[in-house]
Amino acid sequence: MKFLSIFAALICALGLATAVSAQQGPLRITIEEGIIQPLPFAVPDFQAETGEAGQLAGDLARVIAADLQGTGVFREIPNSAYIAQYDDFNAPVSFPDWKAINAQALVTGAVSVSGNNVNVKFRVYDVVSGTNLGEGLQFSGTTDGWRRMAHKVADEVYSRITGEGGYFDSRVVYVSETGPKDDRKKRLAIMDYDGANVSYLTDSNAIVLAPRFSPSGDRVLYTSYESGFPRIYVLDIGSVQQRVLESAEGTMSFAPRFSPSGNTVVFSISQGGNTDIYSMDIGSGQSVRLTNTPAIETAPSYNPDGSQIVFESDRSGTPQLYIMSASGGEARRISFGEGRYGTPVWSPRGDLVAFTKQHAGRFHIGVMRTDGSEERLLTASFLDEGPTWSPNGRVIMFTRETQGEGGASSLYSVDITGRVLRQVNTPEGGSDPSWSPLQQ
Amino acid sequence: MSRARKTGNIVSGVGHFVLIGWILFGGVFTSRPDPVEVQEVAMISGEEFQAMVDASRQPVEVAETPTPAAPEVTEDAPEVDAAPEEPAAAPIPEVAEPAEEPVEEVAPEVSQAAPELPQPPAEVTVEDAPVEETPVERPAEVVAPEPAPRPEPETVQEPTPQEAVVPEETGETVEQPQEAAETPEATDRIVTEAAQPPASAPNASMRPPARRPSAPRPTQTTQAPATPSQEESTVDDAAVQAALEAALSSAATDVPTGPPMSSGEKDALRLAVQNCWNVDPGARWAQTTVTIAMSMTQDGKVVSSSLRMIASEGGDASTANAAFGAARRAILLCQKEGYPLPQEKYGQWKEIEMTFNPERMRIR
Repeated sequence: MKFLSIFAALICALGLATAVSAQQGPLRITIEEGIIQPLPFAVPDFQAETGEAGQLAGDLARVIAADLQGTGVFREIPNSAYIAQYDDFNAPVSFPDWKAINAQALVTGAVSVSGNNVNVKFRVYDVVSGTNLGEGLQFSGTTDGWRRMAHKVADEVYSRITGEGGYFDSRVVYVSETGPKDDRKKRLAIMDYDGANVSYLTDSNAIVLAPRFSPSGDRVLYTSYESGFPRIYVLDIGSVQQRVLESAEGTMSFAPRFSPSGNTVVFSISQGGNTDIYSMDIGSGQSVRLTNTPAIETAPSYNPDGSQIVFESDRSGTPQLYIMSASGGEARRISFGEGRYGTPVWSPRGDLVAFTKQHAGRFHIGVMRTDGSEERLLTASFLDEGPTWSPNGRVIMFTRETQGEGGASSLYSVDITGRVLRQVNTPEGGSDPSWSPLQQ
Repeated sequence: MSRARKTGNIVSGVGHFVLIGWILFGGVFTSRPDPVEVQEVAMISGEEFQAMVDASRQPVEVAETPTPAAPEVTEDAPEVDAAPEEPAAAPIPEVAEPAEEPVEEVAPEVSQAAPELPQPPAEVTVEDAPVEETPVERPAEVVAPEPAPRPEPETVQEPTPQEAVVPEETGETVEQPQEAAETPEATDRIVTEAAQPPASAPNASMRPPARRPSAPRPTQTTQAPATPSQEESTVDDAAVQAALEAALSSAATDVPTGPPMSSGEKDALRLAVQNCWNVDPGARWAQTTVTIAMSMTQDGKVVSSSLRMIASEGGDASTANAAFGAARRAILLCQKEGYPLPQEKYGQWKEIEMTFNPERMRIR
């Protein structure tokens, strides 16, 4: 009896202590639901610190705002809504004025021009907490490169808010197309990611296909019919010099892609009605056969560390996606959905594979995990194909062709949520885009 | 049959025989009729009965002497009774009517146009309602003096904060102008609304103090039981007492906490925050879970300088920082005039830890 009373007292004391301690600790709440909407931001025209910088101050702000808004992650608040006019880079920010118009991020900057040199400095603020997001930065360059400087500022802003790298200071090489469908002229072109600053790398005397950037962004691989049948060329962007990659006589080589190191090229060779995948050391010209089946195997793409290759094969009867070691060997099928899968590209993040899918008379751009799970189709149209990843693995650019005799090809981009689909403005038709890494 | 069983049967048989005999002859079931009181009835004639009735009416005549005093008392009595009833009934409706009117009418009118408000309802109610007048009078006083005296403290603050921002662009300096700029605009409304509740009802009730353990108890318990196991009991009681003291002392030192937070109260906070938690499902930080600690003021607002990330899971430092930024924006954006938290339980939400887990928001 005595023992029972003591035991009961101890239990009571323990319960009381537990209750009290529960009250003393912090209140713990778990948030698992949220909202999905663009983050409102403001980029007032930069302060012109010199007289010559007046025009540039506004242009820089507009390009930065367009970059951020184009992601779909941000929403620009127009200048007309501003309460406080920004005119001094070093003046303290009146956060209440920006809060009043619901801005959550603010980018301020100043630009000065001296001769041909431009100096741009900027700061990023979290308006809600009233704090700086990182330190202020400044870039210097020439007046001709002002757009690049704007892209760099936008990349930094994007990175500070989202925690991941941007993709604005990047370029895209693609096949520019002109003329009717039955006599279409194709040539390699290169542009900023947003379609600005287009220039041409080849003429339209020979058909060119599938350009691919090197990891360093200074070279481009592409397939050309210059010799009468498809062969792979390497083009140096700086000098616009090209050379053909060695291949055996009577073979057709195509669908090239650089390894992450930039020293190896993986591509397809069609010989005697059979197509297999090979890799070649660019320095020595030595080739290694990676697949050896009677099926058509093509469109190889390395993973970010270069240890694996995803490719397309019809060994199961229909084109499907497979993954194998970069040195060849047994392949593992990863696509099992209905339809035909092709042109796989490994994401720079390494977690996803983008692909083209044809099913029920429609073409789609989609993504799936590298084990084939969580397949999601991001687009649907008469003809979508040839995906390429942005440097940060957030956006996919691809070719969309319209139906009919007058159908034209153009470039589109879609983010991996599938929510933000945009056409990329090019002066002419475009196809086969390849996104460069961020420029140094 | 064994001998033992045989003996047992014999003993059982004798026992039953004795029991039955005692029941039969011992008078256990003897019927004892209930005692009945019998009264003798005598037959009387009608004449005898009439004589008895007449004899019983004779004492009534003796009581006639005090009767004249009775009517005097009854005349005064109705006056006394009527007096308390009428005053009680009359003031109640008068008080009740004006008390309700000012509360409803004054507030909206003041918020729209300050000078017009004070005229009708406030003055009427003040006269009629002696006790409950306070909520009515205050708006009238606030409005009557006109804007000139009212803005004294706040108009002074307006210019100051904007200049005070100059030294730093940090969050602390920024918040001052924010408050100063907003309060004057809201002053006309907030002042009148704020004046009502404190006069009419308390905002929160005091929490009853926790019971403290009485000091002499240990000595009593150790001395009282002088049992063979006295040493053991002394040790046990000391342990029990120590546990009780530890539990109760912590309770006594705590801030008023009120009863435990209900799930509804927690959900209200959760809903308020998640309405501002903007998740980018395609971002890498959408794979990062962060836990943020913060301190709260008693009016439900976050002490912004106390916001800090205390844990993250599922990403690197950059994604954790981005996730923290999004969570911080959510917490600060949605607090507005303060989160809907029960003030009487302030001790329980004075410190809050919020975990933001975007797993369900992630694209799949």
